[in-house]
Amino acid sequence: MKLKPITLTALIGSHFAVSALAIDEVSTNSEQAEISALKKQIETLEHKVELLEEHQHVQAAAPANANAQVEALDQQVRILERQRENDQDAAAAAIKAQPKLSLSQNGFSFSSPNTNFVVELHGVLQLDSRSFFNDGGLNGNDGFLLRRARPILSGTVYHDFDFNFTPDFGGGTVQIFDAFVNYHYHPALQLEVGKFKAPVGLEALMADRDILFNERSLVTDLVPNRDLGAEFHGDVLDGAVSYGLGIFSGGYDYNGTTANSPSQDDKAFEGRVFFQPLKNTGIYPLKGLGFGLAGTYLANHPQTNSTTGLTPGYTTDGQQKFFSYSSGVNADGPGWRVAPQAYYFYGPLGVLGEYVISDQQVASTTKSADLWNTAWELTGSWVLTGEDGSYAGVTPLHPFSPRNGDWGAWQLVARYASLSVDSKAFTDGFASPTKSADGAQEWSVGLNWYLNRNIRADLSFSHTWFDGFSGTASPGVVPAQTENVLFSRLQLAF
Amino acid sequence: MKSLLSILLLSALAWPLAAKEISLLNVSYDPTREFYAEFDTAFTKFWQAKSGDTVKISQSHGGSGKQAQSVINGLEADVVTLALAYDIDAIAQQAKLLPEDWQQRLPNESTPYTSTIVFLVRKGNPKHIQDWGDLIKEGVSVVVANPKTSGGARWAYLAAYAAALEAHNHHDAAARDYIKRLYKNVPVLDSGARGSTVTFARNAIGDVLLAWENEAHLAIQEFGSDKFDIITPPLSILAEPPVAVVDKNARRHNTTAIATEYLKYLYSDEGQTIAARNFYRPRNEAILLTYSTNFTQLKLVTLKDEFGNWANAQKTHFADGGVFDQIYQK
Repeated sequence: MKLKPITLTALIGSHFAVSALAIDEVSTNSEQAEISALKKQIETLEHKVELLEEHQHVQAAAPANANAQVEALDQQVRILERQRENDQDAAAAAIKAQPKLSLSQNGFSFSSPNTNFVVELHGVLQLDSRSFFNDGGLNGNDGFLLRRARPILSGTVYHDFDFNFTPDFGGGTVQIFDAFVNYHYHPALQLEVGKFKAPVGLEALMADRDILFNERSLVTDLVPNRDLGAEFHGDVLDGAVSYGLGIFSGGYDYNGTTANSPSQDDKAFEGRVFFQPLKNTGIYPLKGLGFGLAGTYLANHPQTNSTTGLTPGYTTDGQQKFFSYSSGVNADGPGWRVAPQAYYFYGPLGVLGEYVISDQQVASTTKSADLWNTAWELTGSWVLTGEDGSYAGVTPLHPFSPRNGDWGAWQLVARYASLSVDSKAFTDGFASPTKSADGAQEWSVGLNWYLNRNIRADLSFSHTWFDGFSGTASPGVVPAQTENVLFSRLQLAF
Repeated sequence: MKSLLSILLLSALAWPLAAKEISLLNVSYDPTREFYAEFDTAFTKFWQAKSGDTVKISQSHGGSGKQAQSVINGLEADVVTLALAYDIDAIAQQAKLLPEDWQQRLPNESTPYTSTIVFLVRKGNPKHIQDWGDLIKEGVSVVVANPKTSGGARWAYLAAYAAALEAHNHHDAAARDYIKRLYKNVPVLDSGARGSTVTFARNAIGDVLLAWENEAHLAIQEFGSDKFDIITPPLSILAEPPVAVVDKNARRHNTTAIATEYLKYLYSDEGQTIAARNFYRPRNEAILLTYSTNFTQLKLVTLKDEFGNWANAQKTHFADGGVFDQIYQK
């Protein structure tokens, strides 16, 4: 409320008028007292007016001050909010800067934030059973066995150096299967040094966890297994071409027992080139086509003086020896192998084939000859549940989970393989026809159940028959009768 | 059988002739997003027409210093296009991913475009900010990124420092006092220039943003000319953002040739025009003249004249315990 000056003046004026009318009726002293009292009243009123005016000013200024305060507070709140956002970003960045730990279907991995240093732990565990039918009374070959038990330690140091260390505790003996360092300069140019798979056999190079049957076929008998050496390898054109070329100790034909030291002084050159020409194109039906050629050459395999000869023996699917060189027979001169190979995967269909010639100059105490052994195989597969087949295995679209009605992936597999030993091995006395066969053929069928990417259960049957055996049947003489084996496997791989 | 063999043979012969798809990673600093989005599209078309190959260019953006550290820590950039040479020097010196004389490989010491630091203020410039001295007045709130992590913020810091030296007869103590008072008025330090633009424009914090010239124009384009004004101070710094191929990464990815061509294309007429359109000052004088309305004339001091070189500037001002650490109290 605003006190109007006119009203105030009227009030004061009327007060003085009343006082003037009464002036003759009072004494001088009392007049003075009254005047003083009136003056006081006027002062009091003036003070009140001043106070009222001040109050009015304060009231008028209040909204402006409040606005400024609100604005300042608003800025403070915005600043705090922004600082909080920045702190959250900083916290997220700090988390990214921490070492990474992951555990998944692909195993255990621990890496530095920039992934320049990585340590991975993987593993393969295979529990098999073999049941032989009509095996001539051989004891001890039926039953369960721990086929592979391999912890795999791998990783990277300083971004470009990969390593792998894989021992195997299966089969009753402990072996080092892989122990190598790979310098990863470029996908197309890498150098691997140590002990690892020789770049030759298509089936031999397939990962143990992904092989289609419990055992690799007869064709793998003629290619080298893991060997000590150094290899340049790489993928060109995003994997459309892969190559490997190295120098190795030059081991014998495939041997399940691998060595950690050289068997002779000379070195073997081993190499492989593999094409997947349409891998990166949109021609889907041919994207999974791959073909290649591998080979080995050893210029002058010296007398090894090995009592076991060239190889501990060629084995059947049931891992029984059907051929071995006679005692005192050794490699003695040049040896080479050629292995054309191909595969084709399209949707659930897979076909894999390989042919190997293994040529070696051999000698006994009395004779020398060049032996030409050959083998081939053809494997077909079909994933019944529709998943894509591949050289790197099958990943179930619906991992086994009966509660949800999911049963994993099921795959049918079939294989035919043949191995033929040079007849001179027998005519020149390097092997005995009463102990060994000069050839073997086998067919196998099986059903693989991929419960998930890590667990797999297989069941297969293999039938192998032999040529050229002239000995008599007795327990332990493998080629004396056909081999019929029922295999099963439970596999854990991660 | 014959036809199957023919298909296989043709397939085998066809693959070397097929066009390739090449991937390239450009690790850049914060405010170049729009520029490189346009430039990458132009280069992709150019390269496909020239070679038949498809290039897929990926961009990574962040504070320049942080980006350099990411490359040092393993981010596999084929090229880096950062805010200042010091950050690429760090990659060369610490990670040895490219030679230390990388700046001599392209014209203009590998800086295909330049820029400067300007003021972005609220519409109508209510705080009457015209020059660097206005930034330290009481009640003026300044938004700028952290010069320890942002290249643009380092340029802004040096521009302010150079202006203070100029205003105080190159009296270093006075310049330091100015810088101290300036950063006292900074309420939030973002890690990159784009972050500080967000702070100022979206979060409506502060009265003035010390911004890259192009970033200031982009803010007006994005948020509207009724929101902000650009104030060009009478003096600022000539910012020269450099570019380089990261040799070891490019070699590993087999992209050395195309990465080099990518950077050379920044100097082409089309590259320079795209830079000018995005408010980077092109090196090409004719194109600069064509787009002269995008760029206000002002006195530009150089890093070399005021601070010697980046190593000196870094050591004195931005290294741990340097001037910035001494004057800035969080």
